[in-house]
Amino acid sequence: MQVNWFSLHDNNRRFFFIFCVVVTVAHMVSVSWAGSNSAGKLTVYVVNYPLQYFAERMGGGHVNVVFPAPTDVDPAYWMPDMPTIAAYQQADLILLNGAGYARWVNKATLPRFRMVNTSAGFKDQYIESAEIFTHSHGSEGKHAHEALAFTTWIDFNLAAGQAKAIAEALGRKRPELKDTFQKNYQKLEQDLLKLDRNLKTLISKDPSRPLVVSHPVYDYFARRYGLNIKSLHWEPDQIPTNEQMMELNRILKEHPAKWMIWEGKPMKETVERLLSIGVNSLVFNPCGNTPDQGDFLSVMRQNVENLKLAFKKD
Amino acid sequence: MTDSLYIAWKYIRFNRVKTVTLVACITLITFLPVALELLLNESEKQLMSRAVSTPLVLGAKGSALDLVMNTLYFDDEVPELITMQASNRVMDSELALPIPLYVRFQARGNPIVGTTLDYFDFRGMRIAQGRQLAVLGDCVLGARVAESLALKPGDSLVSSPETLFDLAGIYPLKMKVVGVLAKSHTSDDLAVFVDLKTAWVIQGLGHGHEDVTKLKDPTLVLKRTERNVAATAKLYQHTEITEKNIDAFHFHGDLSQYPLTAVLAVPQNQKSGTILRGRYLTKEETRQIVRPADVIDGLLQNIFRIKNVLDAVISVVALATILAIILVFALSLRLRQREIQTIFRLGCRRATIARLLSAEIFIIVIMSGVFCGALIWLVNQFSDDLVRMLFIR
Repeated sequence: MQVNWFSLHDNNRRFFFIFCVVVTVAHMVSVSWAGSNSAGKLTVYVVNYPLQYFAERMGGGHVNVVFPAPTDVDPAYWMPDMPTIAAYQQADLILLNGAGYARWVNKATLPRFRMVNTSAGFKDQYIESAEIFTHSHGSEGKHAHEALAFTTWIDFNLAAGQAKAIAEALGRKRPELKDTFQKNYQKLEQDLLKLDRNLKTLISKDPSRPLVVSHPVYDYFARRYGLNIKSLHWEPDQIPTNEQMMELNRILKEHPAKWMIWEGKPMKETVERLLSIGVNSLVFNPCGNTPDQGDFLSVMRQNVENLKLAFKKD
Repeated sequence: MTDSLYIAWKYIRFNRVKTVTLVACITLITFLPVALELLLNESEKQLMSRAVSTPLVLGAKGSALDLVMNTLYFDDEVPELITMQASNRVMDSELALPIPLYVRFQARGNPIVGTTLDYFDFRGMRIAQGRQLAVLGDCVLGARVAESLALKPGDSLVSSPETLFDLAGIYPLKMKVVGVLAKSHTSDDLAVFVDLKTAWVIQGLGHGHEDVTKLKDPTLVLKRTERNVAATAKLYQHTEITEKNIDAFHFHGDLSQYPLTAVLAVPQNQKSGTILRGRYLTKEETRQIVRPADVIDGLLQNIFRIKNVLDAVISVVALATILAIILVFALSLRLRQREIQTIFRLGCRRATIARLLSAEIFIIVIMSGVFCGALIWLVNQFSDDLVRMLFIR
């Protein structure tokens, strides 16, 4: 049916005109609303997986969290390429772990106003790693400050502190969503503190029980839960050499550990070699990079379950 | 009238030296005060526009003018240094956003400005060619630096040693030009921008060398303890930051103690700015926070005081010159007495003779006016550059 403008009655013509105006205005409002909504989504770049998980949990659909490190690298020692650094520069918020984590940050140019050191609130609790070798220049030279332990998030109390810093940073960027971020933070905090309590209960059964860890990444974990650990420098995907086995035997003489904690699943041959000297293996994955399965919380729950093996009554 | 002008023109052409002298005198006397006014107005405009757009500058106590001139116009005079802690303190106060600046070094006569990316956002600077700073060793050139040094993205630029005879000093750093900024017609056009950390590398506070824990040459090791190796000065340090050696670059000591020349503080609002300024008023405070607009206003007051003196001098000189010109004309009339008599005897009226002399003066004044206009046009055209060359840099 064709509308003949000239054949319409005056009243009908007025109605048709008003109808057109209303439809046009409604369309414009909906388009601009949709535009502002998509523009309102915060782009957050992070330097490790735990921060990605925390930001996603608290930000929900209001944030687009990006963690661009490949899954097969250690984000602490990863160096992004130029396009990735450019993407970090464009982010609304850049979440850093602090404590010297992600050394590339010190070598890249990033917008300071948009960077948030999530561990800045507990700087005084940083641990100087006894395992890292430093250097200086001349007799009075200052040391290169690379000796901080950085796996802060496996102390779940500190992890909650980092999550809080993220919630506050998100709230500063989107004040209208501050309450939402706070509510989400409280839920996340509950989950983290539950893990914290579980670990405390588990380890309090026998805190002096000697353990060895394959890598010096458990400093905050050991301090928080009072673990009695000695660190090695072993890789899960490498079979220990004879020198390494001798070093372990030397440690075991003074520190009779029955369990070794690994960052990742060790090789079968390694497990057997360790078993031959009475040392069992368990995995406590710090989860610095995106896990193959599950998420941060499920990996940490599994870690707690794994650790239960080491605290079973002999 | 045309006849009078023709005869006057012929006379003027015949007496070239006298004419040129008179034209030069009148031109200069008219041009000088106008040009001075133009340049001062332009310098006021330039100085004030940058000062007004910079809310607060934090630096060490001392000359506020040196601090502002170095921070805003990248002047050679380096103020007393402060540390990165000063910037962190502003950040922690949550009253203002700090933009740290380290303007101390030069590259082929152009100031190297060490800062953060926030500076580019704050000044609304845009990359015209190439890309933004991304890693240590990158530099972005101001539009006029790129023009004068004929550099483009992909080229390199070496930092200059602070003193010529600094033989035991820091090696110059070969920086990679990654971008050229769009022209902003401010001091930013004349600067080389680097990341703050690159500026610290230029100073030698950050550097790159081979892993000292794996050194085999004993002459490179001064002392070895259980957790530290002290290297000797013989250890080779990289003079260029590349993709291959960037991992070897590191900083010694506490970064919060690293030097800055100033911090631009951008308050959240006027109230925050006032509170922040109040925090630096105590006697014990070793830093000062200044409003650049106030400092530049003070400087301009002095300039205008000098300008008043100059105006007075120029007025006296102008008066003396006008008197000299009148004298020249009077003497010229005396010398031309016989010539005037001849014209009179030929039948010219006194009015015709007066018209002839007026035509001469008219032509000289018009010529001076044209020259003066041309010179003023030139000054006006290049006032931007002249002000930078004469007053700012």
